[in-house]
Amino acid sequence: MYNIKVGEGSCGISAGAAKIYSLLEKSNTDNIFGLSVTGCIGMCFLEPIVDIYNNDELCARLVQVKESDVEYILQFIATGDESAIKNLKISDDDSEFLSKQTRIALRNCGIIDPEDINDYISHGGYSALSKVIESLTPEQVIDEIKISGLAGRGGAGFPTWFKWNAARQSDGEEKYLICNADEGDPGAFMDRAVIESDPHALIEGMLIGAYAIGAKEAVVYVRAEYPLAIARLEKAIEQAKEKGYVGNNILGSDFSCSFRIKAGAGAFVCGEETALIESLEGQRGMPRLKPPFPAQSGYWGKPSNINNVETFANVTWIISNGGEAFAALGTEDSKGTKVFALTGKIRRGGLVEIPMGKTLNDVIFDIGDGMRTERAFKGVQLGGPSGGCIPANLADTQVDYKKLSATGAIMGSGGMVVMDESTCMVGMAKFFLDFTTKESCGKCVPCRIGTRRLLEILDRICKGEGKEGDIELLEELCIQIKDGSLCGLGQTAPNPVLTTLKYFRDEYEAHIKEKRCPAGECIDLISYNVLPEKCIGCLMCQKKCPVGAISGKVKEVQTIDHDKCIKCGRCKDVCRFGAVEIR
Amino acid sequence: MKEYIKLTIDGVEVTAEKGQTVLEAARQNSIDIPTLCHDERVAPYGACGLCVVEAEGNPKLLRSCATKAADGMKITTNSERIHRARKFALQMLLSDHTGDCKAPCSLACPAGTDCQGYVGLIANGENAEATRVIKSKIPMPASIGRVCPHPCETACRRQMVEEPIAIAALKAYAADKDLAADEQYTPEVLAPTGKSVAVIGGGPGGLSAAYYLALKGHSVTVYDMMPKMGGMLRYGIPQYRLPKEVLDKEIALIERTGVKLQNNIKIGTDITLDELRASNDAVVVAVGAWVSSKMRVKGEDLDGVYGGIDFLRSVILGKAPKIGEKVAVCGGGNTAMDACRTAVRLGAKEVYIIYRRTRDEMPADELEIDEAEEEGVIFKFLTNPDEILSKDGKVCGIRLQVMELGEPDASGRRKPVPVDGKFENIELDSVIMAIGQKSNLEGLEALELTSWGTISADEATFRTNLDGVFAVGDATNKGADIAISAIGEAQKSANVIDSYLNGCTVGYKKPILVERKITAEDLKDKKRIPREKVRVLSPEDRKHNFSEVAFRLTDEQAKAEASRCLECGCLDYYRCKLIKYSNEYDADFSKFIGEKSVANKDTEHPYIMRDSGKCILCGLCVRVCSEVMNVTAIGLAGRGFTTVVSPEFYQTLNDSKCISCGQCVTLCPTGALIEKVPFKKDVPLEEKSVKTHCTGCANACKLTAFSVGSTLTRTEPVAGGILCTEGRLGFAVINNPEKISNAVINGELVSVDDAANKTAQTIKSYTSDEVAVTVCDNLTDEALAAAKKLADTIGTSTFITLGNPKKCIADKDVAEFERVFGDKFNIGINSQKSKDLGAIPAESTDLSKIKAVISFGSVKPEFEDIEFIAVQGLTADIKADIIFPLVSSFETDGTFGGEIKISKAVKSSSLSNEDIIDRIINYLK
Repeated sequence: MYNIKVGEGSCGISAGAAKIYSLLEKSNTDNIFGLSVTGCIGMCFLEPIVDIYNNDELCARLVQVKESDVEYILQFIATGDESAIKNLKISDDDSEFLSKQTRIALRNCGIIDPEDINDYISHGGYSALSKVIESLTPEQVIDEIKISGLAGRGGAGFPTWFKWNAARQSDGEEKYLICNADEGDPGAFMDRAVIESDPHALIEGMLIGAYAIGAKEAVVYVRAEYPLAIARLEKAIEQAKEKGYVGNNILGSDFSCSFRIKAGAGAFVCGEETALIESLEGQRGMPRLKPPFPAQSGYWGKPSNINNVETFANVTWIISNGGEAFAALGTEDSKGTKVFALTGKIRRGGLVEIPMGKTLNDVIFDIGDGMRTERAFKGVQLGGPSGGCIPANLADTQVDYKKLSATGAIMGSGGMVVMDESTCMVGMAKFFLDFTTKESCGKCVPCRIGTRRLLEILDRICKGEGKEGDIELLEELCIQIKDGSLCGLGQTAPNPVLTTLKYFRDEYEAHIKEKRCPAGECIDLISYNVLPEKCIGCLMCQKKCPVGAISGKVKEVQTIDHDKCIKCGRCKDVCRFGAVEIR
Repeated sequence: MKEYIKLTIDGVEVTAEKGQTVLEAARQNSIDIPTLCHDERVAPYGACGLCVVEAEGNPKLLRSCATKAADGMKITTNSERIHRARKFALQMLLSDHTGDCKAPCSLACPAGTDCQGYVGLIANGENAEATRVIKSKIPMPASIGRVCPHPCETACRRQMVEEPIAIAALKAYAADKDLAADEQYTPEVLAPTGKSVAVIGGGPGGLSAAYYLALKGHSVTVYDMMPKMGGMLRYGIPQYRLPKEVLDKEIALIERTGVKLQNNIKIGTDITLDELRASNDAVVVAVGAWVSSKMRVKGEDLDGVYGGIDFLRSVILGKAPKIGEKVAVCGGGNTAMDACRTAVRLGAKEVYIIYRRTRDEMPADELEIDEAEEEGVIFKFLTNPDEILSKDGKVCGIRLQVMELGEPDASGRRKPVPVDGKFENIELDSVIMAIGQKSNLEGLEALELTSWGTISADEATFRTNLDGVFAVGDATNKGADIAISAIGEAQKSANVIDSYLNGCTVGYKKPILVERKITAEDLKDKKRIPREKVRVLSPEDRKHNFSEVAFRLTDEQAKAEASRCLECGCLDYYRCKLIKYSNEYDADFSKFIGEKSVANKDTEHPYIMRDSGKCILCGLCVRVCSEVMNVTAIGLAGRGFTTVVSPEFYQTLNDSKCISCGQCVTLCPTGALIEKVPFKKDVPLEEKSVKTHCTGCANACKLTAFSVGSTLTRTEPVAGGILCTEGRLGFAVINNPEKISNAVINGELVSVDDAANKTAQTIKSYTSDEVAVTVCDNLTDEALAAAKKLADTIGTSTFITLGNPKKCIADKDVAEFERVFGDKFNIGINSQKSKDLGAIPAESTDLSKIKAVISFGSVKPEFEDIEFIAVQGLTADIKADIIFPLVSSFETDGTFGGEIKISKAVKSSSLSNEDIIDRIINYLK
């Protein structure tokens, strides 16, 4: 019997997967095929994706499926004739997107039904928890994690075992295990995908963590903007309770752990662990001073451990496969795999999990297939607003905590925004500063006011109002903000500016001294012009111009009235002869 | 058992208690670490970033307010990196700070006089205090108030409403009041230092330098070539503008500080600079500019041509030259005005002003021009002397080149250019050239000069090229300027010279201040109140004599005029920690100027004003309100740069849960939260403080009482403490203008003696057993004892204590007040002291025989059908036949509860409580 799995992560649903599912469902009143949902397989550029299994074996992966394609799928199911779905099948090239990855954290994503605990169990789920409860002491669990070399995947890369051990060693009966699912970096969606696609992997990882540190309560702090993730997680917790994995005397042991979800109100700073704790306690999300660290005094002043989603997703695998298996992957300093959310000017965007030690080029060109257009690769922003920009000539850098940090960027939680020549680096820094300025909690002075001053300077540079000395002023601000800010948000906020200044200083200088934006993106510094030798006078640009700035007779060269032009770029987009140029 | 640890701070090993923070350990060992967001009352917060320190082995800067001191820790509190971080935090805060640290008038004054301060004091009737404020910057304010071209008024924002405040006239008013008083203000002179300073030149600059140096305990002698002191104030300004009698009085007051004055001594002739240097520790050169500048016009050397200041000096010395009937004065400045108006007074019939531009460009004071015009002076605008004509070697006329205005020059004024071939002749008897002045530096050849020929003096230290020789005023750098500029330099130089004499020269540094840009639009809602006009002699009454033209403002006028002040400067200036640290860390924020947060003011609360533009989001108010008071009337709202402190739903503070404890104001490091000062006019001033106790109830909380002049301005709990609304904010009643200082009988003001007599007579009309005496807990021991003595004298045994005065809680919910303060204050306890004296609580007293009561203290008993003979009260509107004034604990010395010592914070306007009772006893005998 054929089993059809429709990819219904948020990405799939927004691309139309739910409609396809319901069409398939309506046509299956007689249960002639199996139909279920699955999570996100990670190939965002190909959504909606429909996988057809022959019993348990994947026999066809259909991509960019439209509602009108459902009849071909039904045809195939009825006849077994592959020619019906030939045009829908993923290309061999695109298949490489997955085949070149190594999946640990994402191992079940897009494969199992996230709303069915039995599916998870049939893929080996909860066996690690059983193993822990039945045969390992908390210390042995921590040892296993230590052997694996797992480091915090939220961005800082702090050894997980060390935090667990500190929380375990802290005095007190009452301890808390918290999962940070407040994924706030623009362009990052790894955690969302894990919760939506494999929520039990998170629950099981957390239960193992709770067992290790001695916590009786586990809390998942997830942003309210992830409604699907919350719904699936809620359902998963309910199912786990029913099965006896969550609650009192788990699996008949004396280990008890309750679970709950706290929906955050969408403040970026609440991804900072102490601000997250404040928010959990019902306070305004503002970071606390460290020390004391959460492992000593965290949630309600009790020893608490906080890890992010991806970290927990790795834990289950490590217990099942052994710490050494995990440590066998990666480099000297960075073990295991890392998930990236690949976005930007890339051809194949989506979720990518690779072993540490692969290079950025591997991700961008091998897996991501390079740039979407003819334009050359310029650089990549890692780690979102806290991260930095790595230029094309350093893209052979290995994915490794230390090596990435050496460039001025950070590993970060996994946001990877690829930029081509048309991206203005000053504008890019400005974009991230605009974000951090708005997301600063307002508590400490360097972050609250310093980032604002940074943004103001970047803004005036982009407008062509930059002054001699502005670069030095930016540098001074950056250094002081990094040095004086209270939490990670402020301490890392200058990174986009510092790295672009380091690698693209000439762009800043062009803006300030020549009032020119080399990437042609800063609208105050550019003008659209018609190239007479290329213009054939088709009037397409004239028709599309929203402000009537283009004039000229048919079959004659057109002219753009710069006083009227609002620099929207429509003329350039619609010209099929490359006759519109940015100067 | 306390545990102790040892750590090193700045290389010094110190001991600290285990559990203390680095900040606490440092402070305990007298090492100052700045902070704007930390207070011992609340938990560490870490917002301001000022308290950062370095710990050996830790790459990060640590916030010392939150870092626990550990054994063996090595802390640095003052490295370059720390300094940079602190300075940066301050620069950031200032770049987002909206307000005016100082008012524009004060900033415009070259001497930095606190104009807003003394104007406000005059408005509040504190004239003596006003004189003190003025004299801290100007030693001769009666003179300067009369002659100063008042840059303060030019900067005054009130002119955007209608007209500027008459600041100069108010200064002269306050100073004249002082001169006319029985005792003049004389500042304290510090103990003799044994150092001596010679001042060359007895003008406004020299005298000011001498005055401020003398106050610091140095022995100062002023040498001047003229027969009397005063310099240009005496010899350059006509009598009708500055009567010399006024100047004489002010110089006499300067002499009182110990300054020695030596006249008729010319430098280089009678004594040399070297001699002065040899016999003194420092020399100040303030020789002024006494030489009239030449115009280089043909005929300038003729008989009948005089220099402007030479002419004025001759007249003042009583040697007026014969100027004849027709006189021309060349120039458009104040000296030209003085010369032409003096010429009028000498009897000249036709007096001309020759000026090459128009009236609009004249540098002279507008009022001077107006008055000259009224006195008949003829203005020849757009003319320039071409040649002074002569007959028999004597002036007979002038040929004027007619001018027109061309393009604006560097100063922005349109440049006059000659109209080709157009000339005009005037017949004249004499010509006065008032076009500028320069210095005669004979005898001072050893001093290095500028390219303009003036003495070169360092702008910050006033040093010349010679060690120990300083120079100020008209003879230096840019040359002649107005008197107040010389005074400003002199006063600043006195501090520098004092530091030089102490062995370490510290130059003057312009303070870092925040200013605001204000437009007429911002002031459009202000009510228009015309400026008070100073009465002047009519032109007919003044043009034939040298009587002073202007009268002083009357008392009513002065108060009204001063009350027009817009109160631009920040009320928190003298307490603001932000500006204090900013100056300490030299936090020049000009390169970080950017957008500022929106500034909103909330003034609806009865005691507290909020100004979000000055808020630095240190969070102290929010935290003390929730952590200490458990009220949570305010919180943080918004994110990032737009974060604000606000009551919930952005209500006003008055609509919030605020219980008026004042803790937020106490902790606010800036002017974002301030008490409403019990002045009619809010005015930022340096206050005097006294440590005393509140006697509002038997709890007698320790507090610091602040005052300005005779006004109690505010109270603060002692470090770490807390006061209730009554003690913290409710004391304003003692400043109540309706407060009585004499007694009242049936609504009529009478002397305390009359009322005491009447009281005694009334008591005598009853038998001893029919009279009760009541007291309450806010009386001092002395007053209680006197009341007991009165009861004994009357012979009554009914001596009642009414316990605590009822709490004033500013129309707030009593239950809420008690919830918050209940465990912090013993509300309702009776004073043990009055019980010791034999007083009985009212509820356990037998009142059956009592027919009349006499009651002391602020609590009036509520007895039905019993007559009140007399009560004490703050105001006259109490229902009783006889009311005695009530003296609060802030106005008296004494003891409380047998042990606590009360200190007077302000002078009482009436007899003390015990004195009043003693008077009654005397009349009873």
